[in-house]
Amino acid sequence: MHGRVKVKSTAQQEEEKRKEREKKLKAFVSARDAVLRKRSAGEHDEEALQLTQQLLSSNPDFATLWNYRREVLLQLETSREKDEVQKLYESELHFIEACLKVNPKSYGCWHHRSWVNTRLPQPDWTRELGLCDRCLSLDERNFHCWDYRRVVVKESGVSVEQELQFTDRLIGSNFSNYSSWHYRSTLLPQLHPQPAPDSASNTSPSPTASPQIHSHRVCEEQLLKAEREEMISCVYVSRERERVSVAFSKPVHLCDLPPGSVSDISNEHNLTVHWTEKYTHRDCALYTGCAESWCRDSATDQELFRSELSVEKSSVLQAELQSCNQLLELEPQNKWCLLTIILLMRALDPLGHEKETLAHFQTLKEVDPMRSSYYSDLCSKFLIENTILKMEYAEVRVFSLSNKNLTTLCHLDQLLLVTHINLSSNQLLRLPPQFAMLQCLEVLEADDNAIESLEGLYHLPKLEEVSLRNNRILFSKQSKCFIRNPFSAFRASAWFDLVSRSQYSSLINSYRLCRIMEGQQI
Amino acid sequence: MGTQVKDVIIKPDAPNTLLLDKHADYIAAYGSKKDDYEYTLSEYLRMSGIYWGLTVMDLMGQLSRMNREEIIEFIKSCQHDCGGISASIGHDPHLLYTLSAVQILSLYDSINVIDVEKVVDYVKGLQQEDGSFAGDKWGEIDTRFSFCAVATLALLGKLDEINMDKAVEFVLSCMNFDGGFGCRPDSESHAGQIYCCTGFLSITGQLHKVNADLLGWWLCERQLPSGGLNGRPEKLPDVCYSWWVLASLKIIGRIHWIDKAKLRSFILACQDEETGGFADRPGDMVDPFHTLFGVAGLSLLGDEQIKPVNPVFCMPEDVLQRVGLQPDLLS
Repeated sequence: MHGRVKVKSTAQQEEEKRKEREKKLKAFVSARDAVLRKRSAGEHDEEALQLTQQLLSSNPDFATLWNYRREVLLQLETSREKDEVQKLYESELHFIEACLKVNPKSYGCWHHRSWVNTRLPQPDWTRELGLCDRCLSLDERNFHCWDYRRVVVKESGVSVEQELQFTDRLIGSNFSNYSSWHYRSTLLPQLHPQPAPDSASNTSPSPTASPQIHSHRVCEEQLLKAEREEMISCVYVSRERERVSVAFSKPVHLCDLPPGSVSDISNEHNLTVHWTEKYTHRDCALYTGCAESWCRDSATDQELFRSELSVEKSSVLQAELQSCNQLLELEPQNKWCLLTIILLMRALDPLGHEKETLAHFQTLKEVDPMRSSYYSDLCSKFLIENTILKMEYAEVRVFSLSNKNLTTLCHLDQLLLVTHINLSSNQLLRLPPQFAMLQCLEVLEADDNAIESLEGLYHLPKLEEVSLRNNRILFSKQSKCFIRNPFSAFRASAWFDLVSRSQYSSLINSYRLCRIMEGQQI
Repeated sequence: MGTQVKDVIIKPDAPNTLLLDKHADYIAAYGSKKDDYEYTLSEYLRMSGIYWGLTVMDLMGQLSRMNREEIIEFIKSCQHDCGGISASIGHDPHLLYTLSAVQILSLYDSINVIDVEKVVDYVKGLQQEDGSFAGDKWGEIDTRFSFCAVATLALLGKLDEINMDKAVEFVLSCMNFDGGFGCRPDSESHAGQIYCCTGFLSITGQLHKVNADLLGWWLCERQLPSGGLNGRPEKLPDVCYSWWVLASLKIIGRIHWIDKAKLRSFILACQDEETGGFADRPGDMVDPFHTLFGVAGLSLLGDEQIKPVNPVFCMPEDVLQRVGLQPDLLS
């Protein structure tokens, strides 16, 4: 079904082809019918093996035939001595290998081979490894073969070092070596359960040798390993609203907060939130006379967005960065290089390299325009991270990211304490449901975006002022519900600028929110 | 770098408009010539072939042209005593064809023509101790089968019958360094497997375990200069990956990371103006498999001439609404 070229041919050639196929079809149908008849009759004999052999060589995906064959072999086993069984299955292995030559990518073939090895009194794993070597030398990307190899290696006790050497040989001789690099990614952790400080050089090729893989490895380390620890990011208590808000670094199943009251002004309250599943907790003290309190680690302490770097690791990454920069001078349009540089800079000094990072993203979008949406989102993520990091040196309650070409929002769980947020002059399409994490939000400025939906604003209990001029809000039933939402305590100073594309209303320029609240028809 | 990127070149005279009527005619006629060579040789997957044909016809609003009664009778005669369903009469039951059969019966709102309890028993019985699923009694393990199992049970409303935690644990153990998924633990990432695993995690409500940014990047890197998508690095583009990759991106909320216009051009170029249908790449022979995934891909890209398709089940959204299934997608 794949890779069959449509070839134009003459009427005579068409006729010849048609006759040929008719012949083949007849042969196939008669063999198939014979086999299925035999099976229905419960016959498990040599003839069954012969008939299925004929069919399977050119139709290895006809799975039922492999099943029948297994039934026959199991039956024959019962009447044979061990050495005969050995021969029976060895000959089966020869047959499978012949099938694999015709079609090296048949699931049925490879599975049957694995099955045969479970029946063989004495499997020959060395031979099996040799088969894998040969098969991979013909097609290094054959994942069936790689999966089979993993079984062979496990059963025969081949060492991890030996397999790493095997991948070294393959990688050296073949450019299309993603499968080898993938295999290495599974082998190295077996060798080094705790990654060594200079492990970067073991795990990734040089940027020049295989820039794509290099990017992947750096990316993995930065994005996968920098996956944030599961923790309670922040606890916020409000006396007047009798509310405790808890932000977790990862999605959690909701639990019931115990009923209690913190509303009395005169007392001090010491709260502890226990996250029992992760054996972690966070304390928060609400002092006498204070209306609110919070507890939040500073971003720098947490190493929120990247893993902690030892001195050794830093110098390794520094060297890689230098290497990449040199390569970039030779190949300024090399996207893998650009991306790797960006990721290395983030690992080393996200704030210090911000300007350079933005410039590189710009180049990336020009060099690889098909993925400009990806680069815009990634850049937005890094800018948000940087702003969160900078919050440590300034206010934790005001968050400003206007005019930054933001295309997406993330890390909203870090913004539980924010009261004022400015997202104006960006390219945001929506305020996502996670926006509801900004439980302390009082003022939102998001003019001059492309926001279509306000779903994120439904559950913000302290929201008082909203500015959404020059967006693309669809004034639909959904929006009407939102405006009447009892949780929103909007004041008359709120503005909406509704440019509607929905069937419900004609073009609207601007409205005072209080007019809408009074139930005017639009 | 200077090495050639494996890709195709789209000729300037390649089709660039959607030929829906031709595709409907192609599918309606397919299989009517029962002595056709390809048709007969593909009997081992007939149930899936019927599912591909019916689904694409339904997406094009042409389901009525197919022979409902004949197909339902066919499915009934393919259910075995163990409860499993085979690809065709005389063939052995398997999870792949059990899912296809249940999908077809969902399209036709006729689930109860088969013994549903026995299907559930069959699926349950294939779950292994480590949470994985075998395809049939012969024991081949593959994350494709984890997807087949939960998709089948979800369509039957019986997801609670298996060990969900273990099933999830197994699928997550197949996650790789690049954020993708393979057949079994330590298997290389592949778009087809990624579709199955993200679909699985959607059905089981575990999408938050996916590293959406990392996987989304791997997936959007499947797009080649021709606009087509391949299934893994250094491979040629293929229209069926317009489904496996695109649906996965939709499920994890990153479909905007590929260039939609360029992909659309590629998919349209895979049409055969003469015979109708889609081929894997421009100029090749067409078949129902690639026809479904070409049309489904275009639906995901927003083509309004085609019904909206559900990215998890690859079935029309209106069918899933009728069944009451709305699996989570990441935003």
